[in-house]
Amino acid sequence: MSLVMNAAVLNAAVLNAVAPVELDEPRADEHTIPDSPWVTIVWNDPINLMSYVTYVFQDYFGYARPKAERLMMDVHQRGKAVVSTGSREEMERDVEAMHGYGLWATLQRADR
Amino acid sequence: MAKAFRRRRDGTIAATLHVEEAQLLRSLVGQLLELLADGQARPSPPPNAASAVDQTLAAALDLASPEPPEDPVLHRLLPDAYRDDADAARDFRRYTEHGLRDVKRHNAEVVLASLADLAAPATGRSGSGLVVVLDGDQAQAWLRTLTDLRLALGVRLDVHEGDEDRWEALPDDDPTRYVHQIFGWLGWLQQTLVEARVAQRGWRR
Repeated sequence: MSLVMNAAVLNAAVLNAVAPVELDEPRADEHTIPDSPWVTIVWNDPINLMSYVTYVFQDYFGYARPKAERLMMDVHQRGKAVVSTGSREEMERDVEAMHGYGLWATLQRADR
Repeated sequence: MAKAFRRRRDGTIAATLHVEEAQLLRSLVGQLLELLADGQARPSPPPNAASAVDQTLAAALDLASPEPPEDPVLHRLLPDAYRDDADAARDFRRYTEHGLRDVKRHNAEVVLASLADLAAPATGRSGSGLVVVLDGDQAQAWLRTLTDLRLALGVRLDVHEGDEDRWEALPDDDPTRYVHQIFGWLGWLQQTLVEARVAQRGWRR
């Protein structure tokens, strides 16, 4: 090992021994912080046809069939699926649309 | 049922119904319309209630009741938008329920209109079959109304996934079993319509 390497190792050891630097909290700038993300969740129900639920995801969201089917299977097998994300206003529109199709959907803040 | 929904070569979607089936559908859709008409005594919101002033006015007019419907069928047709926030759910309902009822009523009326003018099949078979022909917009309305009908019946029957045994066990003359058969028939009708619609739109299966 060269002397330079030894110095680097020594410096690293010193740095690690020092308490971590506190980062300042980002300032809450109203103009740049985006609306916190919300999600639309579609819930399973014992009535709607799997083929219809897939159809709705293709029709309204424009998802390709494989994705629409995957989401439908998530709803069917796991009881629910997140079908879209965005602002609260956008999610309210999506939920309203889902209700128009007869699906049961709710919106909530995205999990941290 | 004579023939389920299928896509025809000319791009339209058609089904052949027996007279009794058409009558049954008319009756069910009529009941759905009555169910959705409740609460229309209050004035409608202004057409584009988007501005804050419009919304304030709308609130002052005390439009849709913010509380969820007591009738479980209506509650399923007009569900809550928030699971854990009753205030947000009430606000959402106040501003959107009328519109949702209107959309569902409109779809139901499209279905009734397409049932009002049925032609005998061109093949000239002894005339118990009536042909329903749908374009794309009508097919969309039928899909949604069939869903609403199935939701209504399904809630009334309290259906659950995997409950076939329960229905099989009912005596043949049990009226509930008959209603469940109608529920199943509507499901079959809707299944064929979804498939015909997918074909009509050229979506890969």
